Amino acid sequence: MIGIHHYLTVSAALFCLGLLGVLTRRNAVNVLMGIELILNSANINLVAFSRFNDTARAMDGQLFAVFVVVIAAAEVAVALAIVLTLYRLKRTPNLDEATTLKG
Amino acid sequence: MTPEAVVFYIFAVLTVGSAAVVVLARSLIYSAFSLLFTFFGVAGLYLLLGADFLAATQLLVYVGGILVLLLFGVMLTHKLYDLDLRSETHQRIPGAVIAAGLLILLVCPRLSIGRFTFEGLFHRADWAVKAGHVLAPTTREIGQLFMGRFLLPFEASSILLLVALIGAALIVRRRKDA
Amino acid sequence: MNSDAMTLDAALANSARFLPELVLTGALLLVVLVDATRARWRDAVNFSLTAASLLGAAFLCTRLDVASDRTLWEGMVVLDPIARFFKILLIGASFLVLVMFRRSRELAGLVMSEMYALLLAVTLSNLLLAAANDIAMLYLALEMVSITSYVMVSYMKGDRLSNEAGLKYILFGAVSTGVMLYGLSLLYGMTGTTSIPGIQEHLASGISDGTRWALYVIALLIFAGFGFKTAAAPFHFWCPDVYQGAPTPVTAFLSVAPKAAGFAVMMRFFFSGLATEAAQWDLMPTINWQPMLIIVSVLTMTIGNIAALTQTNMKRLLAYSSIAHAGYMLMGVVAASKNGARGMMVYLLAYVFMNLGAFLVVTLIHYHDGTFDLREYPGLYRRAPLLTVAMAIFLLSLMGIPPLVGFMGKLYVFAAIVESGPIWFAVVGAVNAAIAAYYYARVLKTMIIDAGNEDKPPVALPPLEYAWIVVLVAANVLPLLFWSQIEGWTIDSLRMYAGR
Repeated sequence: MIGIHHYLTVSAALFCLGLLGVLTRRNAVNVLMGIELILNSANINLVAFSRFNDTARAMDGQLFAVFVVVIAAAEVAVALAIVLTLYRLKRTPNLDEATTLKG
Repeated sequence: MTPEAVVFYIFAVLTVGSAAVVVLARSLIYSAFSLLFTFFGVAGLYLLLGADFLAATQLLVYVGGILVLLLFGVMLTHKLYDLDLRSETHQRIPGAVIAAGLLILLVCPRLSIGRFTFEGLFHRADWAVKAGHVLAPTTREIGQLFMGRFLLPFEASSILLLVALIGAALIVRRRKDA
Repeated sequence: MNSDAMTLDAALANSARFLPELVLTGALLLVVLVDATRARWRDAVNFSLTAASLLGAAFLCTRLDVASDRTLWEGMVVLDPIARFFKILLIGASFLVLVMFRRSRELAGLVMSEMYALLLAVTLSNLLLAAANDIAMLYLALEMVSITSYVMVSYMKGDRLSNEAGLKYILFGAVSTGVMLYGLSLLYGMTGTTSIPGIQEHLASGISDGTRWALYVIALLIFAGFGFKTAAAPFHFWCPDVYQGAPTPVTAFLSVAPKAAGFAVMMRFFFSGLATEAAQWDLMPTINWQPMLIIVSVLTMTIGNIAALTQTNMKRLLAYSSIAHAGYMLMGVVAASKNGARGMMVYLLAYVFMNLGAFLVVTLIHYHDGTFDLREYPGLYRRAPLLTVAMAIFLLSLMGIPPLVGFMGKLYVFAAIVESGPIWFAVVGAVNAAIAAYYYARVLKTMIIDAGNEDKPPVALPPLEYAWIVVLVAANVLPLLFWSQIEGWTIDSLRMYAGR
């Protein structure tokens, strides 16, 4: 019987992997991918809790998840715009080399 | 094992496995395409959970939009003559320790070693879960909620999208218009 | 299930109490339309449009009826005295920053209409954030503020520093808010509802030990988002780089408005969502928040102040100074009492005036001299006496010298801690304030006493900027005369919505 804990474990694994990606990757696009993993893991949580909850507000989780998808899309668009512009100016997408700002 | 369990494990392994590839692969292209499988896996899990509208949204927006954008990002930011697309990592050990530690903290089932028992947070906490409602198509209810309780966030997100549109176009536009 | 669509009557009734936000939305759309005409006068028109709408929205806020606390839009936002206080504060901050956009050398030559649109959008988002009553609304508003800020920071798209700052900001911000979202999703799972009062109700009715542990970790995760927005340690790392790379008016705005909104929502979340009885100002005694908050506050203050000691770039110096001030404001949260909350609100009010003043002076000096380096500030007393005197007042206010408004802020916060918290914490705060006095004084000394730059011409201030400086100076000096009114206002505003 697949219960809430199964889904929680999947989402926790996704969250931790996303966090690992964010902490270890140098390429900005890779960090963005890690961020998307984190957001997806939270969404799985929301939908899973929504499913296993039969109160009057059970659909809240799914609604919240839809908004997260919208926000993720907006965030990625702006992030990539910045990465692209920075790349045009500096020719590298690596974070370590974005060191003009220091201190 | 019930059919539901089989399907769940297939999607779960797909999702977590491809996520691992996203994070650990050396080549950016491998990461990007694994992300595709991750999103598919998540959509599958949504379907298992009865969230049909959300699964469709996930595929349309994440795979059809965000992933395509990320692929553009990957393609446009490497040296054109260099197809290697290597992505370097740093500080792998501390990162892995933190991530693994967090994972154990969260999901470890009850373990007893001698007198010492440890239980991950997810198992210790009381979640507001009950038997769960009958699975039914969700689109209608989501639509009504958008026009009802979630009307304000719904409208506010349109402002968000407007700002993102203006912002992304503004940042990427080459010429400084007078 | 109650999932009917909202009736038109209900929507109109809600809108009648939502006028400030609607005015800002309308202005935003108008600004975008005017910008699309590509006429040569569109920047000027949009500037006036933005200014007028901000003033209009602020005026409408004062007319909001908060006699009876209520929720709007079916529980998504709250309309209570605290919300009104923060709305006025946030709109005021946007308005005060507006004039800096015209006199910024960094932004010269760029089309400003889009910046005005962004300013209106971020103000609107701040209003939603400060009044959010539901975690979905909270997260959406938080991300709206963040994403708009990311764009504002990267506005100088031809400039490498601006884009670097924007990149660091967005990546750090997205991770912090992503972690926060994960915590929020777990909180939803624990309580079955996204409504903050609903969460409070569920948690106050008794939780087991295991749940308490989980709640603590969840709160830490959620704090990642709040910490990022208010630049509290250890989520402050983006702050100096982003503040330095962004156009100075944007930096000034970021140092004040999103921070205030962040504190507003943090206050509402911790005191209303996680309190024993809603709005009783007692953080849940079952979970010991104080140690965590004290550690964060001490770290924030100390890191900010110590790092500022060696800075020569004015923007970075003010960035670290802002971080430190967030630490002082957190003291109000630590006090976990009505006086603590009031202290935080008074401090925020004072902080808006003094920080914006300091940034305005820095912007104007850069406009005339083209430098942010403190080492090129000597001799300003001769060349720009008014500016230097104004800066002196702003810096003294930041130091917390009476009778300036900054002193009032510190007084209230320290008093709240002495009254209800550990005394050693207040001592740490005082020591920090003393350390801070050193670098503020150093700036003053450089401007007034140091010799140099004799060959540079005097600084001539255009009338609008002249007036603005006077306004901000007055804002720092005069409040003491009207102190009973201001105090009354903050006390009246202290009522927080408690209910479903």
